[in-house]
Amino acid sequence: MSNNIILQVEDLHTAFFTRKAVIRAVDGVSFFVREGETLGIVGESGCGKTVTGLSLMRLLPEPSGRIIGGKIIFDGRNLVELDKQQMRAYRGKMISMILQDPMTSLNPVYTIGDQISESVKLHQGLPDDMVEKEVISALRLLKIPAPEQRLNDYPFQLSGGMRQRVVGAIAMSCHPRLLIADEPTTALDATIQAQYIALFKDIQQKTNVGIIFITHDFGVVANMCQRVAVMYAGKIVETAPTSVIFKAPRHPYTAALINSVPRLDRSKDDRLDSIEGQPPSMANLPPGCRFAPRCTVVQDICRKQEPPEVKVGDEHSVSCWRVN
Amino acid sequence: MADTLLEGRDLVKHYPVTKGLLQRTIGWVRAIDGVSFTVERGKTLSLVGESGAGKTTTAKAVLLQEKLTSGSIFFEGQDITKWPQSKLKTDYRPRVQAVQQNPWSSMNPRMRVRDIVAEPLVVNTKQTKQQNRNRVLELLDQVGIAAEGADRYPHEFSGGQRQRIAVARALALNPSLVVLDEPVSALDVSIRAQIMNLLKDLQAKYNLSYMVIAHNLATVRYMSHTVAIMYLGQIVEYGDTEELFNNPLHPYTKALISASMLVLPEDEDRQIKQIILTGEMPSPLNPPLGCRFHTRCSEAQDICSQDIPEKHAVGQQHWVKCHHFD
Amino acid sequence: MSIERKKADDIVKGFKKRRTATLQWNFLIPVAVLSLLVLTAIFAPWLAPYPPTQTSLTERLAPPSFMEGGNPAYFLGTDTLGRDILSRVIFGARVSLSVSLLVILITASVGTLIGIIAGYTGGRIDAILMRITDISLSFPAILIALLLAVILGPSFGTVVLALSLFGWAGYARLVRGESLRLRQADFVSQARITGSSSMRIMTRHIFPNVINPLIVISTLQIGMVILAESALSYLGAGIPPTTPSWGAMVSDGRNFIDVAWWISFFPGVAIGLVVLSGNFLGDWLRDKLDPRLRQL
Repeated sequence: MSNNIILQVEDLHTAFFTRKAVIRAVDGVSFFVREGETLGIVGESGCGKTVTGLSLMRLLPEPSGRIIGGKIIFDGRNLVELDKQQMRAYRGKMISMILQDPMTSLNPVYTIGDQISESVKLHQGLPDDMVEKEVISALRLLKIPAPEQRLNDYPFQLSGGMRQRVVGAIAMSCHPRLLIADEPTTALDATIQAQYIALFKDIQQKTNVGIIFITHDFGVVANMCQRVAVMYAGKIVETAPTSVIFKAPRHPYTAALINSVPRLDRSKDDRLDSIEGQPPSMANLPPGCRFAPRCTVVQDICRKQEPPEVKVGDEHSVSCWRVN
Repeated sequence: MADTLLEGRDLVKHYPVTKGLLQRTIGWVRAIDGVSFTVERGKTLSLVGESGAGKTTTAKAVLLQEKLTSGSIFFEGQDITKWPQSKLKTDYRPRVQAVQQNPWSSMNPRMRVRDIVAEPLVVNTKQTKQQNRNRVLELLDQVGIAAEGADRYPHEFSGGQRQRIAVARALALNPSLVVLDEPVSALDVSIRAQIMNLLKDLQAKYNLSYMVIAHNLATVRYMSHTVAIMYLGQIVEYGDTEELFNNPLHPYTKALISASMLVLPEDEDRQIKQIILTGEMPSPLNPPLGCRFHTRCSEAQDICSQDIPEKHAVGQQHWVKCHHFD
Repeated sequence: MSIERKKADDIVKGFKKRRTATLQWNFLIPVAVLSLLVLTAIFAPWLAPYPPTQTSLTERLAPPSFMEGGNPAYFLGTDTLGRDILSRVIFGARVSLSVSLLVILITASVGTLIGIIAGYTGGRIDAILMRITDISLSFPAILIALLLAVILGPSFGTVVLALSLFGWAGYARLVRGESLRLRQADFVSQARITGSSSMRIMTRHIFPNVINPLIVISTLQIGMVILAESALSYLGAGIPPTTPSWGAMVSDGRNFIDVAWWISFFPGVAIGLVVLSGNFLGDWLRDKLDPRLRQL
């Protein structure tokens, strides 16, 4: 890991404009990713973590989804200002993405080889024999056994774990500098999940790719990420190095999320902390701190004013009135 | 002493694989191959394993969704595989209910919550509409769904709330056993705890027995009294939950536990050993000879590929099938 | 407040929320058109200025009254026999609407019943029912209809029977496909675990979930049936020629399209209105009937 920051997101705002309402799905989010580093973005469904990922790729569903403020600085350029043509040159080549479901993210009528070479041809403009070499090296990188034979296989001939590796091979085929992985292991079995994570750590060492790992599971974060950003209702409420956040979470939501993960290294009889209630509807947010209605240590001010972001340690900041 | 509610004895389910116009059988998928277990009254048995391990087939057999190739299921001491359909319908089915994995697909989108929860009552009892109505409200209250929810449709609820409704439906007939097929794995981690706590509370209140199917060991440990680790259609280790987690004997169990552990970045520096299995589970169409796990086992020796390991008891409630478990 | 937040807030403020449609035009217009047509059909004798079969050879091929050379007595003009087009369109609504409604009712019911049984039961029953459906689909329907007309003689009943005899197969295929998919649905296996009978599963769980595509197909079918009816009329196997029907009127005017376009045009407009209204209404109903879409 170097200190070389490849992605800097500053005060990003993304909204969906629907017939009845404007949904501010991402509401002022800032973070950065270094080369060779994995940043985890953690939160419950609907907190805006996936929309954040799609915003970075500029793949928001048109025409309702739009970035309405902020900068996405990648490699010295602000991606928000690029037109569609320019953005396409970045997508897949410089920044790529892995989606959650390996069953639907591959096209069933094309072979594995076809699907990987598609992006290689598009971005690298290589002659055919070179393309095949690149494809095979991508399959090797993902440790897919007997890659030469796999080229002609169709997705249905592979297991879920293997398919997700193929998806990874497509994502890595053009040597991107940033990889956005949206719940890539959620659909996999435990032992296969562990394999996949170990594989990506290894790939990261070899390629120095920066990874944004989007997940709802703090358990996965611990195993995979160096730093974590916890999102709640469109905002980042706490960001810190992983080891710090597990030992001393400062935001009550972070603490509750961590405590709700059943852990083998805890006593079985500990009753799990559950976070009561539901996240707020993004169309109808509470005033003040958005977590206040579910917070167990809520104060008067929390219900009136939004807490500012406070730096509490090295690369550790938190937005909570309790911290002031 | 233990009060056994349900016992599976040597359950076998083989599906024929057919080919061609004449439907010639060219092989058998050995979905489960000699699975035995007991579910105690008021206790939880968990079946753990990867997809294809046979845990879902086992649950389907218990729910009479699949016809067994051989083996017997004893319910309160009686072999229900010998019962006629009519007796099963009145004396077994209503007492063994289920909660499915996916709360988004397990409910008819065109029925109101009231009718979804009342369905088992309407089908199995002769109660009046008013009695059903009251029972539904009582059930919803138990699972923490407000009475106003009764008139809404499932899509108006979040995943966690839907799973609560599914639990209410499963409890409608006062069953003795509830089969929980990955009851929390489709939910957000933060919501899982709510549902697991609810299930535990209901178990204590009604002396329910659960048969849980899961792949996440931490979830299993929190929920269950007994655990059966399944691999490729067989149980490879079986035992009391704490005993099994503190003293795992089968290499596969060890790998599963390792895969579920939290490893913080600084632990890695201290070289905490994480076991990562190579390869994937072989096809149940053609399971390996000898010990079925030997193709992925780091401790495999010659004997493992030749002889089928026997069951070794290592305690009152703990056994393992491995040639070199110590 | 940061600059970016201010920028974002301004964009959101600048976005005018479209007025939440309190008047649902996509529902009101088709309903208004269809009810108007139904009322027209019912009150035809009072609305029509002339009896539909009254000929007036001196006034043959008169253009609509609002055109040059038009006769003010015939608002939409007259046909080759000098019959009033307006009166015939008004009376034609009776035949065209009742034939299409009746045929759709019969074919949809039969097709749904067969489709659900085949799809849910599966196995041999499915195979047999679907072969019958295939055979029915592969028959030259118009030819059989002609045969029927010859045997039974052309009448309203013959037309309905002829069009229904084969129309159900399309519904059966569609519903069978949906049922096959629903049979695998978690909520159906849950119903089985609960102990529900097959009958109950088919009526309570499968049927409500195939209504959507049924409605969509049925509304499209309105146009198809009206057109098929006109084809039969054209071949002389339809409703006996003196009774006016839109389809027959369109085909009557075909030979005169260059000199007297109004003969085909106005019944054609009527057919178009019904088909369009049907489709709009179908869309609206589908959105309304689906509780998942109700909140949006």
